[in-house]
Amino acid sequence: MERIKKIRNFCIVAHIDHGKSTLADRLIEKTGTLAKRDMQEQLLDSMELEREKGITIKLTPTKMNYTLDGEEYELNLIDTPGHVDFTYEVSRSLAASEGAILIVDASQGVEAQTLANAYLAIDNNLEILPVVNKIDLPSARPEEVKQEVEDVVGIPAMHAPCISAKEGTNIEQVLEMIVKEFPSPTGDENGKLKALIFDSYYDNFKGAICLVRLFDGSLKVGDKIKMMQTGKVYDVIEVGVFVPNAKAVDILKAGDVGYLACSIKTISDVAVGDTITKVDDPIDEALPGYKQVQPVVFCGIFPVDGAKYEELKEGLEKLKLNDASLQFTPEVSQALGFGFRCGFLGLLHLEIITERLEREFDLDIITTAPSVFYHVHKTNGEMIELSNPSSLPNVVEIDYIEEPIVKASVFAPPEYVGAIMELCQEKRGIYKDLTYLDANRVRLNYTLPLGEIIYDFFDSLKSRTKGYASFDYEMAGYEESDLVKVDILLNGERCDALSIIVFKDRAYTRGRALVEKLKKIIPRQLFEVPIQAAVGGKIIARETIKAMRKDVLAKCYGGDVTRKRKLLEKQKEGKKRMRKVGSVEIPSEAFMSILKLDDGE
Amino acid sequence: MLGVYIHIPFCESKCNYCAFSSFVKSKEEQRHYITKLIEEINSYNGESEIDTIYIGGGTPSILDEDLFVMLANAIKKKFNLLENYEWTIEANPCSLSEEKLVCYKNNGVNRISLGVQSLLDEQLQFAGRKHNREMAINAIQLAKKYIDNVSCDLLIGLKGMNRENFLSQIQTLANLEISHISAYMLQVENGTPLFKMVERDKYLLPDEDESVDVYNEMVLVLKNLGYDRYEVSNFAKKEKESRHNFKYWTGDDYIGFGLGAHSYLQGRRFANSSNFEDYYSGKLAIEEVLTENQLLEEHIMLGLRCKNGISKEFLLKKDYDIKKNENYLLFLSQGILIDKGDKIYLNPDFYGVNNYIIVQLLP
Repeated sequence: MERIKKIRNFCIVAHIDHGKSTLADRLIEKTGTLAKRDMQEQLLDSMELEREKGITIKLTPTKMNYTLDGEEYELNLIDTPGHVDFTYEVSRSLAASEGAILIVDASQGVEAQTLANAYLAIDNNLEILPVVNKIDLPSARPEEVKQEVEDVVGIPAMHAPCISAKEGTNIEQVLEMIVKEFPSPTGDENGKLKALIFDSYYDNFKGAICLVRLFDGSLKVGDKIKMMQTGKVYDVIEVGVFVPNAKAVDILKAGDVGYLACSIKTISDVAVGDTITKVDDPIDEALPGYKQVQPVVFCGIFPVDGAKYEELKEGLEKLKLNDASLQFTPEVSQALGFGFRCGFLGLLHLEIITERLEREFDLDIITTAPSVFYHVHKTNGEMIELSNPSSLPNVVEIDYIEEPIVKASVFAPPEYVGAIMELCQEKRGIYKDLTYLDANRVRLNYTLPLGEIIYDFFDSLKSRTKGYASFDYEMAGYEESDLVKVDILLNGERCDALSIIVFKDRAYTRGRALVEKLKKIIPRQLFEVPIQAAVGGKIIARETIKAMRKDVLAKCYGGDVTRKRKLLEKQKEGKKRMRKVGSVEIPSEAFMSILKLDDGE
Repeated sequence: MLGVYIHIPFCESKCNYCAFSSFVKSKEEQRHYITKLIEEINSYNGESEIDTIYIGGGTPSILDEDLFVMLANAIKKKFNLLENYEWTIEANPCSLSEEKLVCYKNNGVNRISLGVQSLLDEQLQFAGRKHNREMAINAIQLAKKYIDNVSCDLLIGLKGMNRENFLSQIQTLANLEISHISAYMLQVENGTPLFKMVERDKYLLPDEDESVDVYNEMVLVLKNLGYDRYEVSNFAKKEKESRHNFKYWTGDDYIGFGLGAHSYLQGRRFANSSNFEDYYSGKLAIEEVLTENQLLEEHIMLGLRCKNGISKEFLLKKDYDIKKNENYLLFLSQGILIDKGDKIYLNPDFYGVNNYIIVQLLP
């Protein structure tokens, strides 16, 4: 059999927690790619953060060998994230695959991301193999779930393997069907090189590493290659595959999935979605690539220690290398100094990036309240786009403001419909329709302001439905809305980093909650400090921090000055974490506290 | 001018709030310690001109007269006491006796610092002190009979304190014509019995704001009674400031002998070990030469605690132009700092929060 006919490139898609990573681990184990003793739970989730949170953030490719009917096949698996924020990662791996395994949880059935991811795969012309997982659970109802997949997703599912990835049941059947159901790649290994960069990351020794799928031609050490979009030219110094750790090979050929390193030091030279070809025998037309994903949630990120600005910049650049959706531009805040305005795909994405900055780059950072992108129409006819509340023009200059709207669908058991409707209403949602998918499952469609979703929608939805609801949304343009800016005044001075834009009717509640929270967080100062929330010139809430009464070090006993010194050193460190607004010192946590503000507080 | 500090780490019992290293030890162990202490004094071979001696603890008055005399002789043999010297010994009302006072006086002691802490029986009991009001008053009167310069330590913020009962103690002490008062806010230190008590009952002690109010009022009362606040926690009649303690705050030299004793000589700081065995074997717990920056920081840290203030010339010599510190300018404009000639002083109204201000003024 021809080499390329024995290759299967596929990815696994599913709703979060339906068992993608567990199945991936099982496949690796079953094919003997890694000895059992080397297996680590959730092998492909290599980031510490991924394992901790039990989610997959990054796609990770693995090459496995599998023998069926005497033929040895090469299976390239690309694991994908399941969370709504990371849909773009899914679409990237889809473009490198011919098939997609769609995992559905045998007890939960079709969820919001099951559907969203299945549609993505269909749009990419992939062959879809449904797999019903977690049949070991007592509440498993595999036959009903198969029917649900046929009814809701609209693809044949009766042949779907029923497996337990956790216990290793029926994994063999999945492997067989991968070979039988998924098409092999097409392509000419003797043709001109055409390779897609579907991901990249930074290696401290080898520079930027490109993860590639070869469509035509071959690639080996010493080749002179060209990135078609950026026009940069490089000498290949290493090519390899993931088994699942990186392993150098002599050559990559059409149909293969692997990596290449060319000592690329400038991170921005690698554009995910770009096409690689050879300098001396180039192709004429690049692959379509990816459409640029647009961040929807924004916040300011500042170093706690102002001197670490450059390090923060470097950290963001390195993270951006394998996270094309991360955007950042320099920003200056009166209160926080120099930092960056950053754009994210969602709140989880924001949380992941900030945590990675702290862990992987050992940075202490301050994050300001998340916000969305507003369209501000001024009275002079001009329209400005902004995400930073402090850049909002004066009220008199504003004709009206538009905010981003999303189409949201919530999947849940019917008994939670009331609770979900109530929540959506509170979040200014507009009801669209309700569909019974089967006796146990309904889908509710709403349009909601994105600004409400990034606030505390996920958490509220989870708690009000005991975790049974799933949720997906897509952007649906902009709509005019009655929005105001709530400013926070400390000792009469506006603190730019604490301003928020809110729906007018919520201004009082949010302003009240904010000042109360700040009162708890800001330590006493030399003088009494009023904390006020204001809309325009009008004060809507006020709290007072009492003046500091006592801050004196213990007596200098028997000339022991060292004890005092140590305490002083500690306080000096503490002072570095403070930001000054006018004469008021604010601990860096204060800026983040408004992230975790709920109306109940 | 050099000062000498002697540490006597023994107490009759441990107080509930005490986090210092002091020990309840037998007479034999005390004797052994004094022998070792005298060996340490004898081996000293530096500067011998001194003008202050401070025997602190623990409870130095716990020592029997013979031990005290041995110690005093060793000090006098090694050091040359200048005329107009100050020699303080700490004592508590239980262990002080007429015999001891006579002995102190005959050997040259001219200042007594009494650990009164409170004149309220309930508070004394609560704090784990072994004396009561009557014993404290008697001890003060007795001390005054032989040694005129008497200082008393007071604690603010003990259980049951209120404005009236606290200020009446001040009046009583003033009537006894003591020359000096050290008043400390009670600190609840981790690891003490008091810490556990407060953990069990968080309303056990008066709240901090109340203690601060009483402290501030005490400052005014003391001022009217002729006691000048010359340091955060220290108040003295005219020319009765503790000259020895002043050395700590002004960066003067002092040499310490005994368990855990600290010394500071010409920018070099060292301290004996706080563990008996290590101390007896001559181990130092700390030894450092202060960097220019540390000298500068300590000058600010200590100078703003007392009426001595900080010297702009000193700061400039250490390459610190404080005028470029915006906090300094802010504090000046708010009247928190006082700029007078070469000196910068902390407005005494802000002594209670001096630490916050010091941190803001460091380079």
